[in-house]
Amino acid sequence: MEPIRKDELDAHACGSLSPKTKPCPRPKPGEAAGGCSFDGAQITLLPIMDAAHLVHGPIACAGNSWESRGTLSSGPSLSQYGFTTDLNDTGIIFGGEKKLKESIDYIAGRFAPPAIFVYSTCVTALIGEDMDAVCKEAAGRLGLPVIPVNSPGFVGSKNLGNRLAGEALLQYVIGTGEPESGIPLGVNLLGEYNIAGELWDIEKLMNSAGITLMSRITGDARYKEITWAHRAKVNMVVCSRALLGLAKEMESRYGIPYFEGSFYGAKETTYSLRQMAFLLNDREMERCVDRLTEREESRLLQELRPYRKLLKGKKAVLYTGGVKSWSVISALKELGVQVVGVGTNKSTEDDVRRIAGRVGDDTEYIPDGGASRIIKTVRDRKADLMIAGGRNMYVAMKEQIPFVDINQERHRAYAGYEGLLRLAKELTYALANPIWKLAASPPPWDQEVPHDR
Amino acid sequence: MTVNHRMKPAAVNPIKTGPSLGAVLALQGCYRAMPIIHGSKGCSAFSKALLTRHFREPIAVQTSALQEMDVIFDANRNLEEALDLVLSKHRPDIIGIIGTELTDVAGVDYRAMLKTYKRERNVRGSLAFSVTLPDFRGSLESGFSSAVEAMIDEMIQMAGHKGARHVNNRQITLLPASFLTPGDVMELKEIIASFGFEVIAVPDISTSLSGHLLTGFSPLTRGGVRLDSMLQSLQSGLTIAVGGSMERPARRLHNALGTPYKVFQGAMGLKAADELLHFLHQISGEPVPLRYCWQRENLLDCMLDAHFQFAGMSAIAALEPDHLFSVSGWLEELGVEQQALVTSCETPVVAGMEQEVWVGDLDDAEYFGKGADLWISSSHGITAARRIQAAFLPAGFPVWNELGAHMAASVGYRGAMEWTNKAGNLLMRREAERRESSVRNR
Repeated sequence: MEPIRKDELDAHACGSLSPKTKPCPRPKPGEAAGGCSFDGAQITLLPIMDAAHLVHGPIACAGNSWESRGTLSSGPSLSQYGFTTDLNDTGIIFGGEKKLKESIDYIAGRFAPPAIFVYSTCVTALIGEDMDAVCKEAAGRLGLPVIPVNSPGFVGSKNLGNRLAGEALLQYVIGTGEPESGIPLGVNLLGEYNIAGELWDIEKLMNSAGITLMSRITGDARYKEITWAHRAKVNMVVCSRALLGLAKEMESRYGIPYFEGSFYGAKETTYSLRQMAFLLNDREMERCVDRLTEREESRLLQELRPYRKLLKGKKAVLYTGGVKSWSVISALKELGVQVVGVGTNKSTEDDVRRIAGRVGDDTEYIPDGGASRIIKTVRDRKADLMIAGGRNMYVAMKEQIPFVDINQERHRAYAGYEGLLRLAKELTYALANPIWKLAASPPPWDQEVPHDR
Repeated sequence: MTVNHRMKPAAVNPIKTGPSLGAVLALQGCYRAMPIIHGSKGCSAFSKALLTRHFREPIAVQTSALQEMDVIFDANRNLEEALDLVLSKHRPDIIGIIGTELTDVAGVDYRAMLKTYKRERNVRGSLAFSVTLPDFRGSLESGFSSAVEAMIDEMIQMAGHKGARHVNNRQITLLPASFLTPGDVMELKEIIASFGFEVIAVPDISTSLSGHLLTGFSPLTRGGVRLDSMLQSLQSGLTIAVGGSMERPARRLHNALGTPYKVFQGAMGLKAADELLHFLHQISGEPVPLRYCWQRENLLDCMLDAHFQFAGMSAIAALEPDHLFSVSGWLEELGVEQQALVTSCETPVVAGMEQEVWVGDLDDAEYFGKGADLWISSSHGITAARRIQAAFLPAGFPVWNELGAHMAASVGYRGAMEWTNKAGNLLMRREAERRESSVRNR
């Protein structure tokens, strides 16, 4: 992966902490897709599994969204509880601060979490609830971190919400704790949320290479480990640029170098592991990584052979909602799948540049326009399958297009060497299923068969 | 009898979903429709994602994508933009503007705006209405019925100019409540039609969300009741509402057009099915079709076979009000003890129930349900059911852990039989597992 120049980063608007040079584009009414900033903040923070996450607002924000993500936990599951102040008419008219305070007390008393994250929503922001003050008072009284997350839906996009969540971590969490002595200092993963257990695969790889995973920000995380993230020696920003601002700020505050990488595809995985060892400045570890990646890559090459044969020359349209597009392209290329169309609706200019470096000249960019536009590309380019998020899955089904789910609701882990093999299998299964032929043929009574009578 | 609230400041694992989601669901049952949620992007994105997950179908919905500054300055400019785009690009037959807590708190008057818009742009030939559904009032069920009510109002307005009514006594308008699955609506339509009536369901999710490949993907709804059928339904001689929440829309038809109506509060179990078929038999003068006589026999026999399984069992149900009423009636017939009934909101239906009902969340259900054998709720209840070691029967909304849940029927004799067998099987399996583990641990 090509390094990114510093000035490019500063010019980048939606994903950095620095003041915006260019505002995020306004969503188009009547054609907007994707979640809001509240959604984004929850995506980033809900994987802190042992914390309580309390939504301050009327029912829909929590009621329509809790338990909707594929992020997995290896232990505590308090973050899977749906907590909300569930404001009603009176709460809106007379203010919900009292209810919020009581809710925080209730959760602290009954569940004794290590921390409570409190999310503002459109309405509570609009009626001017002073959430920060309530949280501060409660934190002091209860002796427990109570963290306000000011990312109401109407401030902007999902990416902005990711970023605001990163800011909350920086302001209230990171730097408030110290790791147990004796633990070797290692690498933080930023923006890896353990969808379908991907983080566990990555952690296994890092362990085999002798690299310590310090803080998971935030896949399958415990609150405590994030408090000492500032002691890490390296930050890796995984795929999403939304937490890039956090990495930058940690670099300037704590002097932690960072790099951007991905674990989709063998090449990217190898690069990421090498980069970790390089930045940790440990010769022995670098050799260890080299041995590991060589071994894994050659094993994978063997195992992939039958699938490569089946996938070679197949054409895919990729629509991931932006952040993962370039990294998944690399993985698909390694499998011999040609990406003939790629969604860039949420990609930044930098993402687009990276996409351009990875696909052929004749690949079509799908800037916006929703599902109809994706289907048009599939038809125009005679693509064999569609790779997208769960929201577009049934769009593909109705058009009878083989489909592989790549976003947060999925149940398969595609990271690392094992993940690439899994992706290859998933792609071949999708293409080979008998349903495509069955669905394409009309019932016998509709088939025009000349019969003699 | 009594409706109770457990004193608790926060909702823990809510049963409730937003009422705006209910309105989006209602519009999925109309052909070539597009709901536009007048609110933040997330309001529509969450509804869309959750409905998609439950029905395993694409869901038509759009948003006015309000941002902070839009709310402060002019939220209706966004709505106008959204309307322009949706009308010019997709040409929907039906548009529902769904106001949210955001527009309600900010005091946005989109009703007047829509009126002006319709006059100025000459939106003739399509039905456009608005409904106010702030999320701090009501739940999915009330949002659904309010949307249907607003839709009916607009239908009456639209048809009003066309002159006299020709009442067709062989035609019945069916108003199915939000908890009825596409499979249920299909079953109800078949039952009513089998007595020689023409049935128009408003809305009709049985031909949209049931799943079909008749058309490819469309940004609009891919099935449901057509606008001309909806307008034709105003000529019906009778309205049948299934679910207490649909009484208001039925009454609206009665008040405006004089159409008599009949409300069936419960839809599940032997008695409820008997009541429906007996009524249809009486008004049509037709004999009850043979297949339903057979199904009744089958159900009774099935209940006899299963009654050993249900003996001494207790259940906890956490569902939306109308659904809870139906399920409670069915449990009663099985002789299952109803350890606790929990619902999302207080409505006249639950207030009139014989049993004690709690307005609360899944956490309350877990509290009251300790020791219960059977847990009935949406998929959100899986973990809680596991914690109290009850067999988990998914029902209501959303259900994501089971294929075909949206097509399973609970109404009629056949529906009651399906549910009885399903619940009985779950209890049987649980008993077998318990026996095994007690043998192992001896």
